[in-house]
Amino acid sequence: MSVPCGTVRDRLPSYLEDALGAEDRREFREHFASCEACRDEIARIEPSLLFMRVIPEEVASEDVSRILSGVRAGIALAETERRVGRSRGRIRRRAGALASAAALAALTLVVPGGGPAARHPREAVAAVPILVAPAPGFSPVTQPATSGTFPADATIYDWNPGAASEEPRVVWIVDRSLDI
Amino acid sequence: MELVYSESRERREAAELSDSELAVRAREGDMVSFEALVVRKTPAVVSVARRIVGDGEDARDVAQLVFLRVWEQIARYDEKYSFNTWLYRIATNLSIDFLRSSRSRERAHGATLYLVRLREEETSSQTTGAVEESELTRLFQTVAARLTGKQKAVFVLKEMEDRDTKEIASILNCGESTVRNHLFNARRILRREIARICPGLLEGRRS
Repeated sequence: MSVPCGTVRDRLPSYLEDALGAEDRREFREHFASCEACRDEIARIEPSLLFMRVIPEEVASEDVSRILSGVRAGIALAETERRVGRSRGRIRRRAGALASAAALAALTLVVPGGGPAARHPREAVAAVPILVAPAPGFSPVTQPATSGTFPADATIYDWNPGAASEEPRVVWIVDRSLDI
Repeated sequence: MELVYSESRERREAAELSDSELAVRAREGDMVSFEALVVRKTPAVVSVARRIVGDGEDARDVAQLVFLRVWEQIARYDEKYSFNTWLYRIATNLSIDFLRSSRSRERAHGATLYLVRLREEETSSQTTGAVEESELTRLFQTVAARLTGKQKAVFVLKEMEDRDTKEIASILNCGESTVRNHLFNARRILRREIARICPGLLEGRRS
């Protein structure tokens, strides 16, 4: 015992007033933990200090493992939710882009007769500088569109059978950001 | 095999780092460091949560939530401040939230009934020395059910976890005078409840 019982009991009022310095407080508590007589005397004056004796619960290593597993699972769940949230946002944005593209495609899918002379409605809609495929033939005809109407990495393919053909001219829009 | 070896080596290295160093690494996305912190700090977090929420199983649930909250907020951790204080703040706040839930109120009610039965069964010869540790723990949870979450947290941190008043003020994000007010009120309520529920405990000492 580092300090005598009398000193500890003298310090009680200061302890209760939270007026002890760190070192005195440490000595007070150490003495309190080891001296049953002082414990009883002090608990008589301030019964709530009885609870200083409550020993912390032992945490078994299995409990630590269980908590760690729970934390890992919680993190994985949160990550998944975050990804799904991001995907939903992306899908919403893509749906918007797809709708724009679909509108454009609807306007340009069938261009009777085809040929370079045709003035395409898409130019009016998307204001995208689209190179027209040399007729006849199949070709990716544009670099990625730069207009806000298109996704940035969309490519337009143009099937142009030529003016002499009875087949319609067909235009595809491929958006590589759509990985569905 | 190499991966396993490498991972265990990383864990050994992490074990040698301070709390703050691990937290900084975790903030940079290092999961090994984060998990090392979880393993290292679980006993302390469970201990404080157990004392505030009053039940071991609930305390382990709270501990899990605490570490998930740490992971969510690790980007905000500032190494200029003590990691322990930051961790205790999260643990204390979540424990107080848990205590407010209806589930923990029901458990506290059950504990009160248990103590009433205990008092009826015990004789007036009961003394401080006769009260076993486990009974003392149960008695604390019963009488402390009358405390507010903040009062209980302050009493637990000050008298049972032996934290400094300044640190408790930092943990609870309040002034030191507020901490002292909570502590004095907590002691007063605990005195009254001990006298009401377990009078033999004090009478034995007075004789």
